Amino acid sequence: MASVFSFQAVSDGVVMNFRDGSTFGSIKKAVTLHAAEASDFFTGINLYLNLSGLELAYEQLEELMQIVKNYNQVNKIYFTAKKIEIEEKMTESTSEAVIINRTLRSGQRVKHQANVVIVGDVNPGAEVIAGGDIIVFGRLKGVVHAGAGGSKEAQVAALKLDPTQLRIASLIARSPDDIDSSKLQAERAFIENDQIIVEKI
Amino acid sequence: MAGKTIVITSGKGGVGKTTSSANIGTALAMHGNKVCLIDADIGLRNLDVVMGLENRIVYDIVDVVENNCRLEQAMIRDKRYDGLYLLPAAQTRDKTSVTPFQMQELIDQLKEDMDYIIVDSPAGIEQGFKNAIAGADRAIIVTTPEISAVRDADRIIGLLEAEGLRDPEVIINRIRADMVDRGDMMGIDDMIEILAINLIGIVPEDEGIVVSTNKGEPIALNDKAKAGQAYRNIARRIMGEDLPMMPLEKDSFITRFKKLVGLS
Repeated sequence: MASVFSFQAVSDGVVMNFRDGSTFGSIKKAVTLHAAEASDFFTGINLYLNLSGLELAYEQLEELMQIVKNYNQVNKIYFTAKKIEIEEKMTESTSEAVIINRTLRSGQRVKHQANVVIVGDVNPGAEVIAGGDIIVFGRLKGVVHAGAGGSKEAQVAALKLDPTQLRIASLIARSPDDIDSSKLQAERAFIENDQIIVEKI
Repeated sequence: MAGKTIVITSGKGGVGKTTSSANIGTALAMHGNKVCLIDADIGLRNLDVVMGLENRIVYDIVDVVENNCRLEQAMIRDKRYDGLYLLPAAQTRDKTSVTPFQMQELIDQLKEDMDYIIVDSPAGIEQGFKNAIAGADRAIIVTTPEISAVRDADRIIGLLEAEGLRDPEVIINRIRADMVDRGDMMGIDDMIEILAINLIGIVPEDEGIVVSTNKGEPIALNDKAKAGQAYRNIARRIMGEDLPMMPLEKDSFITRFKKLVGLS
C-alpha cells in the first residue's frame, strides 16, 4: 500500500507518481487516506498528477480530481505523463535542499517540499517540516516532520537528536524521557519495518 | 546628545520586567546618567508604583501622543535622582492607543537630551510588545530559571531578530543557588545553552524585592541587598564596563539557622 504512489519535488511543486498498473481502487483508497493525513502540507504549491502507466476511465479521472482537491489549499493541479524511471529514489536525487544558516527559536517554522539543512540549533517550540530529509548541524530539540508528503525513505539526522517529537511520513516518535542531554552524539532516524529507528552515526 | 534606547522584555509575565526596569533605570541614574523610564504597559501600569511615583501622575504617554500635553509635562522627575524621569502609561486606555510609529517618534524626541531610555515592555507578543520595541536600539530579556520562561524568552529573541534587533542580552532573575545545586532548578549554563545569547546579569532571589516594591523604593538603592548589587552591576555593564559575574552565594549556616527559627 505504501508504494501505490510517491512524490517527487520539482521547482514549483510536487509530482505525484503512481505505480505502474495500479488499480483505480487502490489508488483511490491510498490517495483519500493520504489527503486526510497530509493536512495543510500542500498549501500554496502546485500538484502535478503523473498519469504515466495508468489507464483510467473518464469517470475515474473525475473522481480522482475530486479526491485530490481535498489536499488543503493546493495551488494548481496539473496532469502530466512523464515516464519515471527510478521511482523511489527520485525525491532525493533531483530535489534541492534549502539551507538555513541560523538557530530556529521557539515559534519559528520552516516548511519546504524537499530537503532541509539547518546549520544551528532547533530549539524547543520550533518546527521543521520537509518533504524530504532534515539534517541539523546542531541540537535538535523542537518538532520535526521529515517526508511530510508521505515519503518513508526520508530521514532525520542531527548532532544531538533530542526532539520534542519526531515524525517521518505518517509515523510519530518522541525522545525517551531519561535522555542524557549534556553530550553531543550525532544520530539519525529513519523508517525500517514501519518503525522509526534511531542509530548513532 | 544621542541617547541609547533599551527595551526590557520577556514574553512571559511575572518574571521581573518592571522590577528590572525600575532598578536598572535607578542604578544608571546613580552614576549620573540622564535616564527616562517609559512604561509601555498601557492599561496595566505598574512602573510608577514600583518607583513610588504614582501620586505625581498628571499626564501620561497617551496624553502625549494625542497632543493633550507636551512631552515634558508628562515626564515625572524622580524624588531621589534629578536625572531620572518616568513617562507613565495610561491606566484607563489599552495598547491600541499608541502605534509603533508614534512610539518611535516619541523616543526620537527623548533621545535628544537623555543618555538612556529604558522601555518597560508588557508581557505578551501583541501590539503592546510591538510598541515597546519600536524605537529600541538594544534589548534586554528577563527570564527566570523555569522552562516556561526560557521558552518564551527564546520566542522573544526570534521575534526581536525578525525586527532587526540583533544580539539581545539576558538577565536571569530569581535564581536560587541552593536549588540549582540540588538539581531542582535550571542552572545558568542550561539556560544559556538554549538561548545562546550574552548574559548581562544574574539576580538572586531576594525577599527584599517584595518589600522594596511595596514601599516604592527600588532595591538598587539598598547597599546591603544582593539583588540591589546585581542590578547596580547590570547598570555598569550597560555603561560598557567589563565586570565579572557575581558568584551565586549560598546562605551561610548562620543565616539558614536564623531562617529556621524565624529570625531573618
